[in-house]
Amino acid sequence: MKSKLKETVRTVFWIFAYTLLLAGNAHAHRVSVFAWVQGDTVHVESKFSGGKKVKGGRIVVTDSSGVELITGKTDNSGEFSFKIPRQTDLKIILEAGMGHRAEWTVPADDMESMAVEDQTPPTKPTAEREPEITEAVQNEQNVSMPDQVPAGPDLAEIEAVVEKVLDKKLKPVLKMLAEFGENGPTIRDIIGGIGYIIGLVGLAAYLRYRKRDVVNTTN
Amino acid sequence: MHISEGVLSAPVLISGMALTAAGTAIGLKKLDYEHIAKAGMLSAAFFVASLIHIPVGPSNVHLVLNGIVGLLLGWSAFPVILVALILQAVLFQFGGITTLGVNTMIMALPAVLCYAVFSPFIHKRNTVALAAAFACGALSVFLGALLVGLALVFTEKNFLEVSAIVVAAHLPVMIIEGIVTALCIIFLKKVQPEMLPGKVEGNQ
Repeated sequence: MKSKLKETVRTVFWIFAYTLLLAGNAHAHRVSVFAWVQGDTVHVESKFSGGKKVKGGRIVVTDSSGVELITGKTDNSGEFSFKIPRQTDLKIILEAGMGHRAEWTVPADDMESMAVEDQTPPTKPTAEREPEITEAVQNEQNVSMPDQVPAGPDLAEIEAVVEKVLDKKLKPVLKMLAEFGENGPTIRDIIGGIGYIIGLVGLAAYLRYRKRDVVNTTN
Repeated sequence: MHISEGVLSAPVLISGMALTAAGTAIGLKKLDYEHIAKAGMLSAAFFVASLIHIPVGPSNVHLVLNGIVGLLLGWSAFPVILVALILQAVLFQFGGITTLGVNTMIMALPAVLCYAVFSPFIHKRNTVALAAAFACGALSVFLGALLVGLALVFTEKNFLEVSAIVVAAHLPVMIIEGIVTALCIIFLKKVQPEMLPGKVEGNQ
């Protein structure tokens, strides 16, 4: 009888010890998720307020109508990447356990899929000017030759390169923006909150003394 | 202890709101004008407490302070915690507006229960009061964690597993909170005994 009790106590202890390890990073009050597009891949980053990464958080990617497209788990640095399944608004939901949940939407505009890109370049004036110049330098003799004919493939190439470089250069900026948006409570928030509470107390006190005044005057 | 938006199903949210509304109504009724200032102070303390992070092991935890709020206010813990949670949701984005009812219930109900159980011991000898205050602080966090588990049951796996995780994550908070509550009560007993509940002159 006694040994059974001991055994139960021990099991309970191990369950606690184990869950304590598991739940190590699951304790915070806010979780945030952030995603950006790089080429045909979407990178997802997640963290708790206070900067702790979400390890092993469940990621669910759905389209705008809520159809599940991809599910996965964040790795040890709180990141998760997936190929864009198709051109649609992607909603990325992070479930970090114990009631913590966050969302991030990647609009369809952010993903320039290859199919769409092939048609668009000729209508983009900024992208067009650059290749024309290089063409002109290359074919100095045939000035009168139409520039547009060989410009086709180059244009796509340049655009791809520019896009790649921009993605790379903008990554830290995007990250910074995301971090900027999720700053913890500032001193302003704290003082503001306390101010509200003092205001409520004042309101209650006002009601009380007004009542007393009424009583006093009627007496 | 703050459950985010979009996690819980509508029935859970609605029952949480209903319970909170009832608790708040009772709490406001029981809150006489004499104790408004005390309630305000405790609301402010509760509001700020969640910002105090204590690194414990691999994670860091924050204070809840629902035990001390309950012990000093009884039923009025409901409106006090509700106000603080509204401000936390709006200003810090802790929890959320739709989960306000559930979150208030999670923290205020244990506070009221612990008040009912432990407040009679507060005016006893110092050692007894100390033990009661510690138990009150720790137990209210424990019960809160259980309620979190209960609320999550309807969306996540089984009750025991979820609750065990939540309770385990809150073990350090329970201990710290117990100590904080005990210190507060002993301090108040010495310095400001009229802040303690049920202080009936000449009776004790």
